[in-house]
Amino acid sequence: MAATTHDTPDTPDTPATHATPETHAAPETPDTRDTRDALAAVFGAVRANRRGRTARIAVVTSALAAAVATLFVVTMMVGSFRLSAAEVVGSLLGTIDDPSLDFVVLGLRLPTAATALAVGLALGASGTIFQQLLRNPLASPDFVGISSGAGLAAVTGLVFLHVSGIAIAGLALGGAVVAALLMYVLAWRDGVSGYRFILIGIGVAAFFEGLTGFVLTRAQLFEARQAMHWLTGSVGQASDTELRLLLGALAVLLPLAMLLQRQLRVLELGDDAARGLGVPTELARAGLLATAVILVALAVAAAGPLVFVALVAGPIANRLLGPATGGIVAAALVGAAVLLTADLVAVHLLPVALPTGVVTGAVGAPYLLWLLATTNRQGAGG
Amino acid sequence: MSRLRAEGLSLGYDDRAVITGLDVSVLDGRITAIVGANACGKSTLLRGLARLLKPREGVVYLDDRALAELSTLDVAKVLGLLPQTPVAPDGITVADLVSRGRYPHQGWFRRWTGRDHEAVTRALAATDTADLIDRPLRALSGGQRQRVWVAMALAQDTDLLLLDEPTTFLDINHQVELLRLLRRLNTESGKTIVAVLHDLNLASRFCDHIIAMAGGAVVAEGSPAEVITAELVEKVFGLSCVIVPDPVAGTPIVVPA
Repeated sequence: MAATTHDTPDTPDTPATHATPETHAAPETPDTRDTRDALAAVFGAVRANRRGRTARIAVVTSALAAAVATLFVVTMMVGSFRLSAAEVVGSLLGTIDDPSLDFVVLGLRLPTAATALAVGLALGASGTIFQQLLRNPLASPDFVGISSGAGLAAVTGLVFLHVSGIAIAGLALGGAVVAALLMYVLAWRDGVSGYRFILIGIGVAAFFEGLTGFVLTRAQLFEARQAMHWLTGSVGQASDTELRLLLGALAVLLPLAMLLQRQLRVLELGDDAARGLGVPTELARAGLLATAVILVALAVAAAGPLVFVALVAGPIANRLLGPATGGIVAAALVGAAVLLTADLVAVHLLPVALPTGVVTGAVGAPYLLWLLATTNRQGAGG
Repeated sequence: MSRLRAEGLSLGYDDRAVITGLDVSVLDGRITAIVGANACGKSTLLRGLARLLKPREGVVYLDDRALAELSTLDVAKVLGLLPQTPVAPDGITVADLVSRGRYPHQGWFRRWTGRDHEAVTRALAATDTADLIDRPLRALSGGQRQRVWVAMALAQDTDLLLLDEPTTFLDINHQVELLRLLRRLNTESGKTIVAVLHDLNLASRFCDHIIAMAGGAVVAEGSPAEVITAELVEKVFGLSCVIVPDPVAGTPIVVPA
């Protein structure tokens, strides 16, 4: 907008003779009367502040997108034999016609890389939505029992029903929804206050993990091994169906999350303030929760309950964007970058190839300790 | 004339009725204080007027239309609210917080325009918080923080503004500062203001109209001089007292007997 729009502020220039209500003598005269110049200076500062923040968001988000794209290509370059970036990109875009190259890139490596990308995006977006909605950095879905609910349902399916693919995704979604509803019923009382939700969430997570352990004891050795591998979390195990489902969900839900971000920013101020500002709080919250639960459930179905990606993505994005900015897209990109990096480390940098979940866990645990220590000290976690 | 009024209003939480069959009209262009003992229903009334609580019976009218029939977003363009305990995300800056008050004026896709800048500018200038825009909210003093919250409510740019105990937790200096700010907003832009207040002396000094409540009902209503009497204070607060005139403004002051 042009700078000239501020020329007509409502405040009169001349000290007005106020139409004072009858009961009292004089209203307290303002100590300072803002002049037009002062208002113009404030207007400039407000606009500069806004532009600064918008520019920072744009720069950070583009840089993250570039980093994710680079990692995506690098993941497909390394392996038992190395490819150049040109070869990978050429094969992806179909500009190089080489069946053996296509076999390695499109056939072997792309599914894993695409899974890491999609799961990372989903976990990052879902984690930051939970954290902002519940106003607590500890409230990521892998910490408060949503992932464990999805995991329990999926393992039950693997062990007892011998299903795979879309059925696993459906079960994981069902488990996540049940876990979310359970927590909603147990913890929601006029909104979420403080650590109540987190404590109940940890309890729910422990309960589901206990049940998962029980299911594993009932399993045959082979199924148990398979289930354990799945539970550790790995991006190399997704079936085609699971990956397609997740990609489809991302294509619909990420834009939806971007739209709902406006409501989320106001919901962060408390339910009363949000309603006062005209947000239909129950509806907005239900929409955001549903988005986050579906994303995390499909991510879990594709790669198992990978820990800590959802927990760290939002805070890292906020560190880059500036406090309380809460960019869902930025958090999703951070999630993808973290997971692609973890997969690179797990499969290629370590002497023995490990499931991705081992690496995210090893990196995430110290962060969680730090988070617990600092939020306790500030008392600002709730 | 009254843009905001309630007829036969009954409000409550769960199965507990707090207010039954209450009629009240908010005077346009004036500052109204709702006073009363703890748990007399004053905050409940404010929440009812602000559509945070659905009436069990009766209707709240805004510009002669029932609040329940209006879209909550349309209401938010006319009626602003500062809740008793708003929460702010960790590390949020003043500029960010105040600009969130523009929510009802922004569409799904249309984002930030010159009008939004203007409204935020006016809100910051009016509350004298323009120097603080880059500061994190948690680094501010209690008085500054409360002024920033008022600035957020002002950025909403509404004709009516409801405040739930805006002076609680502030020291006497900041209480007076905040009430002077409300007074100034009212005289400069004719804003209709309703505030739940605890301090009777400050309420009579700074407000045009007082609604005294007890047991979920309005027991007296009128100018401070009419309402604040020894009899009423005894009745509403159970405190026997003497009323003397404020040596500065001549408004009634409650002195415990």
